[in-house]
Amino acid sequence: MGYFKEVSSASWAFCEGLWITLRYLFKPSVTVQYPTEKLVPYERFRGLLLFDAATCIACGLCAKACPSACIALEAQTHPETKKRVPKAEWYSLDLGKCNFCGLCQEACPTKPKSVWHSLDYELAFSTRDDMVRCWKPGFPLAGRVWDPVQKAFRDPESHISVREVQARI
Amino acid sequence: MKTEEPLVSGPGLEMDTMFVNLGPQHPSTHGVLRLGLTLAGEVITKAFPDIGYLHRGTEKLMETRSYHQCVVLTDRWDYCSAMPNNLAFCLAAEKLMAVQAPPRAQALRVITCELNRIASHLIFLGTYGIDIGAFTPFLYAFREREMILDLYEALCGARLTYNYIRLGGVASDVDADWTAKCREFLEFFKPRLDEYDTLLSFNPIFLARTKGIGVIPKETAAAWGLSGPNLRGSGAAYDVRKSEPYCGYETYDFDVPLGETGSCWDRYFCRVQEMRQSVRIVEAALAALPGGDLMAKGIAKLPKPPAGEAYAHVEASRGDLGIFLVSDGGTAPYRLHVRAPCFINLAILQDILVGKKVADVIAVLGSFDIVLGEVDR
Ligand code: SF4
Ligand code: SF4
Repeated sequence: MGYFKEVSSASWAFCEGLWITLRYLFKPSVTVQYPTEKLVPYERFRGLLLFDAATCIACGLCAKACPSACIALEAQTHPETKKRVPKAEWYSLDLGKCNFCGLCQEACPTKPKSVWHSLDYELAFSTRDDMVRCWKPGFPLAGRVWDPVQKAFRDPESHISVREVQARI
Repeated sequence: MKTEEPLVSGPGLEMDTMFVNLGPQHPSTHGVLRLGLTLAGEVITKAFPDIGYLHRGTEKLMETRSYHQCVVLTDRWDYCSAMPNNLAFCLAAEKLMAVQAPPRAQALRVITCELNRIASHLIFLGTYGIDIGAFTPFLYAFREREMILDLYEALCGARLTYNYIRLGGVASDVDADWTAKCREFLEFFKPRLDEYDTLLSFNPIFLARTKGIGVIPKETAAAWGLSGPNLRGSGAAYDVRKSEPYCGYETYDFDVPLGETGSCWDRYFCRVQEMRQSVRIVEAALAALPGGDLMAKGIAKLPKPPAGEAYAHVEASRGDLGIFLVSDGGTAPYRLHVRAPCFINLAILQDILVGKKVADVIAVLGSFDIVLGEVDR
């Protein structure tokens, strides 16, 4: 008797469960068909870091604020007086170490921010070199990558396009 | 459904034992945990958890980081519920600095932590179902969790490692849009809990696999220092939110669900009921959200708390998370120790797995809901 009771209660639970899933079968699907469909993150989303050499004053506050020491930069020097100019000579950021914490963006004193998180979440790297982005005046916002073999800067290979709309406060 | 003792007695009847490695790359160990099991036939005679595969040395690392930067590192302990980690560290540091977060920040801390508890318990519910062999609840649980993560994304910009609760307050404010979306989620979520009960909690197959398995009596649980739903599943009413309220938990009306026997199912069901309570807390907190500042005054960019020690603990999703912080007056903590609930909950495995069958190991291990990021830190 106990055996049949067990079988019947298990089958009843089975039907109950199926009834729930059956009801969802006729509701619209909640799955997003990535990569053909892509969601746009919210305004505050902390995605890929971008940098703008035109507004940066080379104060170094972002490098000090960073918990994983992934930012390095050097200020330009005036060619004649040899004095420091508030412009970045180069700026580099190691996305392999980055926490995407937003502290650098918060520390940056310029308006608009010179280093800021974009809405871009599609980060994939096939080499470690690609993770280290470098900026010099005139470089694109997503930065470029130093190629140790060619001894030249190149555009990052494994990273996907940066979105058009950037939240830059 | 009894678990038999090994029949090894009498001369010439000694059974050969076999050593089995469970993990570190086993999907049911929820991370990189290795369990060394010694088996006599199908019955476990010795079990030892081997940890350390995910050790990142954050406790040591924090001794060289400023207090604001430490908050970022706390996110990485229990990455399934990072808000209470942020909170525990901030509470300890705030104690040192003798500041208190303004009321609005406190309410937001409660809301985000409770939402995080729901999200974390949903992961547990889904993955425990998978461990036992029920795949469907996983998909439903993750659908709901996704909504919570969306709320977090809109609020603080990240989905897992929030860095939202800061020293002296919280990082960003909620607007009417967000509260509306949050209420909408809670309304959507409440009936879902009944669905989980039908799909999983009271399913006879699930009951047979979990009820009466891995029983931990109250005294044993307390002796091994269990906390959180694992302790309450054994019937011991200990919840930091009640016993030492922080962030105004004393003003919210909620129950602490208790299990009866301390079996896997009790621990499981404790968490399911906790989600209901969390919904209640979030609703109450949203209704009574005070206005005002988000940040306490007087938090420096590079804080230097006066020399001294502070201990703060919170009821994180997995138990009693405590932070012991020593400052020597410098910009970085002199020493920081984490009382990680997962690490302490894990230790009891070597005791209760003995005498169980291999097939029950996963059921028992899963019911503890460990996160290896917090075990190893
Ligand atoms: S987001 Fe955080 S970890 Fe990344 S560069 Fe900025 S401060 Fe450093
Ligand atoms: S990015 Fe901002 S914080 Fe960093 S050096 Fe430039 S101006 Fe200073």
